[in-house]
Amino acid sequence: MTGTPALAALAALRRQQAFAAADEAALDGLIAVRPPERMPRPDPVWDDAPVLVHEVVGERYRRLVLATDTIATTALAGQFLMIPVPPADGERILLPRPMAIHRRHPEQGTVEVIYGVAGRGTTALADVAVGESLLVTGPLGRGFEFPDAAEPTATHPQPARTALMIGRGVGVCAIMGSVEDAARFGIGATVVLSGRSRANLIGLADCAELGATVIPVTDDDGSSALPALGARLRGLFTAAPPDVILVCGAGVLARLAAELGAEWGAPVQVSLEAHMACGLGYCHGCAAPVATDPAVEGPLVCVDGPVFDAVLPVA
Amino acid sequence: MTLAPPRPTTDARRAFFDARPADSAAVDLSVRIGSLTLANPVMPASGCFGPSLGRLIPVTELGAVVTKTVFGTPRGGNAAHRLTEIRAGMVNSVGIPSRGAAGYLAGQHPLYLALGVPVIVSVGGHRSSEYAPVVRDLRGAGDAYELNVSCPNLDRHGTDIGSDPDAIGKVVRAVRQETDKPLIVKLPVLVSSIADCAQAAEAAGADAVCVANSVPALPLTALTRSPILGNVIGGLSGPNIRPIVLRLVWLAARAVDIPVIACGGIETADDALDYFSVGARAVQVGTASFGRPYAMVEIKRALQERCEGVAAADIAELIELWRA
Repeated sequence: MTGTPALAALAALRRQQAFAAADEAALDGLIAVRPPERMPRPDPVWDDAPVLVHEVVGERYRRLVLATDTIATTALAGQFLMIPVPPADGERILLPRPMAIHRRHPEQGTVEVIYGVAGRGTTALADVAVGESLLVTGPLGRGFEFPDAAEPTATHPQPARTALMIGRGVGVCAIMGSVEDAARFGIGATVVLSGRSRANLIGLADCAELGATVIPVTDDDGSSALPALGARLRGLFTAAPPDVILVCGAGVLARLAAELGAEWGAPVQVSLEAHMACGLGYCHGCAAPVATDPAVEGPLVCVDGPVFDAVLPVA
Repeated sequence: MTLAPPRPTTDARRAFFDARPADSAAVDLSVRIGSLTLANPVMPASGCFGPSLGRLIPVTELGAVVTKTVFGTPRGGNAAHRLTEIRAGMVNSVGIPSRGAAGYLAGQHPLYLALGVPVIVSVGGHRSSEYAPVVRDLRGAGDAYELNVSCPNLDRHGTDIGSDPDAIGKVVRAVRQETDKPLIVKLPVLVSSIADCAQAAEAAGADAVCVANSVPALPLTALTRSPILGNVIGGLSGPNIRPIVLRLVWLAARAVDIPVIACGGIETADDALDYFSVGARAVQVGTASFGRPYAMVEIKRALQERCEGVAAADIAELIELWRA
């Protein structure tokens, strides 16, 4: 029997690699830079933000509530923070980690962030205690924008009245600001929350609070599988398609959203993630997966995104 | 779109801006680089600063800013991933995207100028003949030029110009024909003799050398042992390279009379003072700014306070006092 656990681990690694490769390939040719934004972004600030809540969510996520007045008041839906990890136990993490703002509570002067414990940085971050402070910089990047009458398109001359939002894993966080905006603007929001299992779904309580219709889908019962999810969404929306689709958390979901958008004539916006050091555009570390002339630098995830248009490549 | 109404806020950034100390009449932090006098010796490392960071910190407290390296013709930069963090530090293979000299002048230079401190324009090339045309095309923009002969992640994975004293001499002499402004030569880590390289720069007319750049490195993923970076090889930076660069700065400072600007893993005023104590006259801060945007300003303020604390007139006297 020796070697069996090692062989099983190798097989799991192969599956993981194949899944990651397929997810990355799903974005090929899909990402497009959006037209100029119609309102200025808030100026980013850095702040020593006290940790008010730091709790376990599901099996491998953590939820942070940070007191940071300016960011809570100014952040737009889909923007993100750079969060450095304080040194502890001899572990030094040099680079801050980019994390989406999950919820904004301007009246309390707080923001919520949910992250997965994955590598050295997030493992060390999970040890930060309530009462400590994190040196956050934000709000950063270009977030999601609902189409409105100020930028009419051929298919959508009117402001968005309905939106379909699709989030998987911690990718749900990037879209939750838009669920908040939808509640504020009276836009009908249907939110697909995807995860490994019911216990690992992020955003159920938030969507209930914000009055959004939720479609929970999970890997363990097969409901998150692409053909099943695609068929279900076509059944729900083909008669009355949403005015916009927002997606984050998986390349394959972005592609599905782009396919649905093409069928329904609805614009699709996708939020991407990338390794980055500064979050402000000067380190040039986060090249977006957009094929460009080799002599010209392509868009950066941090300042040109993280939200881009997702458009099916012309076959 | 309406958000909650604005109300008084107390973000830590504003408090930091408001805490700007008065310039001390008793402490002189200034440093001369050729004909250029910097108010203090703290500046960013090329590639680790941009005008967008200038909005987050009181940048007028810096001695200078240094631009991302400008090449003669546009470059797109390397494939993703362009950076990662491993236990040893940050590794980047950004590949220096550049819009070329004309693109820099039109797009970036006005933003740097508006910062209100001397602008040191970093200039790059793939061959020793390529530097002078870039400086010519910059048409006098910038207060000084830093000649980047040491980026470890360009096309040939090489540091070929910066490790060859003859090539360094060629670059400096050619650029000197184009400008009277101060020239700084940014040297690499991997050289057989940093003293020979620094002396070659000095003999050819450079006004300072910057020692050093990131350390060529190859980070692998933990699980599959495959390269993390799109370019395979990148440059290691952060506090772990400090002892390596300290040695180089010590050797270079003994070899030349022109100022040595230290660059390698500086995070605090103490780190900067390590470098000053082995002969550096100015410091560049890179990786530290990513985690703490105000690191450079904090270092400058702390250097002034350290001098004031023991009534030292300047950093040299502060170091003498310790050793007396």
